Amino acid sequence: MKDIFVLMEHRRGELRDVSLEMLCGAAQLGGNVVAVLLGKGVDSFAEKAAGYADKVLYVDDPMFENYNSEAYQKALSALIKENQPGLVLIGNTAQGVDLAPALAVELGAPLVTDIIALEMEGEKPKPTRQFYGGKLNAHMSLKDADMYILTVREATFQVGDPSKSGEIVKVENPVKEEITYRKFVEYVEPEVGEVDITQSTMLVGVGRGIREDKNLPIVEELAKALGADLAASRAVVDAGWLPPDRQVGISGKTVKPKLYLAVGISGAFQHVTGMKGSELIVAINKDPDAPIFSIADYGIVDDLFKVVPKLTEKIKELKGA
Amino acid sequence: MIRAFFLGLSSQVREGGGWISGRGEESMNMIVCVKRVPDTAESEVHIDASGRDIDKSRLSFGINECDNYAVEEAIQIKEKLGGKVTVISLGGKENDEVIRMALAKGGDDAIRLDDPAFAGSDGFAVAKALAAAIKDLEYDIVFTGALADDDGYAVVPVALAELLGVPHATYVKDLEILEDGKKARVGRELEGGLMEYLEIELPCVLGIQTGINEPRYASFKGIKQAAKKEIVVKSAADLGLDPSEVGEAGSWAVLEKFSVPEVGEMAEILEGDPEETAAKLAQILKEKGLI
Amino acid sequence: MSTEEISFIEKYDLLGCIQCGRCTGGCPVSMRTNLNVRRFMYDTQNEERLEELSERPEIWDCTTCYTCAARCPKGLEPLEVLIGLRSLQIEEGRVQPTVRDALESIFKDGNPWGSPRAKRLDWIGDLDVKVLEPEAEETTDVLLFVCCTDAYDPRVMKVAQSLVKVFQAAGVDFGIIGEDESCCGSEVRRLGEEGLFEMCDEENVELLNSFNVNRVVTISPHCYNTLKKEYHGLRHPVLHYTELVAQLLEDGKLTLSKEINKVVTYHDPCFLGKQNSIYDEPRYIITRIPGVEFREFDRCRERSLCCEGGGGKMWVESESKAERLAEIRVTDAKDMGAEVIAVACPFCLLTLEDATKVRGIEEEMRVADILELLAEAL
Repeated sequence: MKDIFVLMEHRRGELRDVSLEMLCGAAQLGGNVVAVLLGKGVDSFAEKAAGYADKVLYVDDPMFENYNSEAYQKALSALIKENQPGLVLIGNTAQGVDLAPALAVELGAPLVTDIIALEMEGEKPKPTRQFYGGKLNAHMSLKDADMYILTVREATFQVGDPSKSGEIVKVENPVKEEITYRKFVEYVEPEVGEVDITQSTMLVGVGRGIREDKNLPIVEELAKALGADLAASRAVVDAGWLPPDRQVGISGKTVKPKLYLAVGISGAFQHVTGMKGSELIVAINKDPDAPIFSIADYGIVDDLFKVVPKLTEKIKELKGA
Repeated sequence: MIRAFFLGLSSQVREGGGWISGRGEESMNMIVCVKRVPDTAESEVHIDASGRDIDKSRLSFGINECDNYAVEEAIQIKEKLGGKVTVISLGGKENDEVIRMALAKGGDDAIRLDDPAFAGSDGFAVAKALAAAIKDLEYDIVFTGALADDDGYAVVPVALAELLGVPHATYVKDLEILEDGKKARVGRELEGGLMEYLEIELPCVLGIQTGINEPRYASFKGIKQAAKKEIVVKSAADLGLDPSEVGEAGSWAVLEKFSVPEVGEMAEILEGDPEETAAKLAQILKEKGLI
Repeated sequence: MSTEEISFIEKYDLLGCIQCGRCTGGCPVSMRTNLNVRRFMYDTQNEERLEELSERPEIWDCTTCYTCAARCPKGLEPLEVLIGLRSLQIEEGRVQPTVRDALESIFKDGNPWGSPRAKRLDWIGDLDVKVLEPEAEETTDVLLFVCCTDAYDPRVMKVAQSLVKVFQAAGVDFGIIGEDESCCGSEVRRLGEEGLFEMCDEENVELLNSFNVNRVVTISPHCYNTLKKEYHGLRHPVLHYTELVAQLLEDGKLTLSKEINKVVTYHDPCFLGKQNSIYDEPRYIITRIPGVEFREFDRCRERSLCCEGGGGKMWVESESKAERLAEIRVTDAKDMGAEVIAVACPFCLLTLEDATKVRGIEEEMRVADILELLAEAL
């Protein structure tokens, strides 16, 4: 079987989890696993990757100090042309999505994004992805080609213990010219409000089900009774009902409180990924098919407007007692 | 009907920058690609008899959420700097509703790409059709939504840029046009809400993320007025596209079938009326030492 | 500068205004906001100022209760001038996101609450309710126009459910439109979205006319007012439920056997009372419930204090942080010893109930629709 390229993703001194996850996933498919690492002075990442890959192609160059999709594309394109892998795995992240389709078009390699499961039929991947915010799984059939590209959703594969000792091959930067038409400028941290929900012991997460910000007091009462802080799904933040620093999910915070009480949250992947590590997850949602119930420990399938005030009442009673 | 917005355009000198915006001169030519999608956020989704589509008979349709923000972004730039906004959509006559809404908000003209050959297109095939329509137009920025509410592919903006041979950025949550409209400062939203700022040369393609602005309302009258504007319809042949390049034939991958996600270990569902379930839950929380 | 061929002066007969101030003098909202409708009657005569005037936030504070028009000695309608200014903002697309969302939702799903049309009948639950067929052979006596708020709001659903029980107990032959029922557009027009209102008018009249019924009965006074007075070409007579239920009681078709031993007061909804002179029927019904001790508000009937639910206010954030009229109302109810405020409008129900919570008196002061009390007394 042909080699499998796995693009390492890193940012500000951290190797992102999806990188090792993909290496572990690739190892199950047959074929050599080749980690591709582009960076400046990220030797430690190369060593880490080597524990999970058969080979590490490492380009150490100031051009890759910060992510630039154009530079990555050129480098990857050159490395791919030289090494002819059969499959390229890239994380389905803000970085990966900014890169993969352009690479796929350039190389004429079929691409499927955001895969959550993968089987192989010989050299050809049979990926599964999701439609309609996670409500349906879609089994995809790729066109025949010599090489395929897939972007992989975080946490699709599990990271085991390092079991390989891949050779780290330092490669000269194949990109000879500076990229001028797209330049990295800086990172800007999100604003920090009065509450850092990543430090909260208990969180009440509010979702679209709340309908209007006029209804927030119902949930605020519950949070107060519990002694919890309010967190929010993206929809609630986009609507301006709660500030961005309360957002839990892919573009928000990852939280691991003792209790995450999801109110009116459907449980779309983008949100769940930010709170599934919570110790106890409870969901209140009118929709019995809401994905949130598959990651919650306890659930109430009922109207939040009926349940939440009652719950607040009961909690106050028990606390008073 | 549209009044005050053009008053500010006649002469406006930036402090320390030195660009003067005037109608016709440093104005921005923009294209916005819009998609019509079913509203499935609140609705139940049922696989239809074919197993390869959903039952859309009881769903309502509207503009893809990210695209709505893209339209607003383009219109706001037009209001600030002058210029033109062209709306493009791939689909049948039913897409006209979405196109007209964008025109009502301030779009100037529209193109609809309509051909049975486009059926079953994935992001790549859509991007090819869009590229064919756009490549001969003059533009400074092509806006698309970062991803679609229905398929979530997130492919179109980046594939389109590659096909057009221009730089791109996607998951854009902040945008500022710089200098003489030759460059833009773009903020991309990364995981955790971290913003990655970059400078990109125009012309370019930008995939817009929700939350970048507050979309305006398009009045019913405005939409009806916009109905007077002609929507140019182009077929695959008009675009010089062979049927093998588009639709399922031109896609990277084809949907074989849908299935309902397996529910992992389901939550323990508490039964009863709100009084009872609330009491049960409160008791559980107490037993776990949380209250 | 105007957006239509008719100028503001012509459209609203502004030159007839004598600036007497009776409008502002009776305007309930002027107690708590900057809104001075008398000034607007004068200022809008200057076409060049229309744009600037339409940007004033206080034009969104008007609840369209109609007090100003009712009091005007020249028969003018100052509230319509404010609606006219709102429509200028609507044309520019410059409305609060909540207003935008409500209007878009009405256009897309036939209700202002962002809920899918497919869920419009969820309120029925286990109840047995007939869904009418258009162009049916036999005549059904009553077409019940449910209302978006009764259909979708979890609290107000109980009112619709109560109505079904009451109608069934009285043997009323009624049916509903079903999923195709769409927003009457009352608030749409009052928010200034003339174009969308025209669509509501046209489509709903065509739909309603397609049913073989004797009359249309509404639960909400807003639906009642719009269907009866603002639609064009509706061929059925329109009643508010209080008119029908009062008749049923009078005819002995409804037996109330359980007691409700409470002190009950009644809050006249602006759209039922002030605007349509229906004052007696609701009182007749309430006083027929066994055990009820009925007390009147000092500000009752024509002087009823607007709850601020109308005029699109359900979707508008007011700039003023002053005490809401609904809070004054529930406090007045408490002060006069009432235990229940009976209402006949879904917006009054929501705003007054909300006010009891803000005031922290929700335990002692119940807000209920007359239908809920009736259902409990069956």
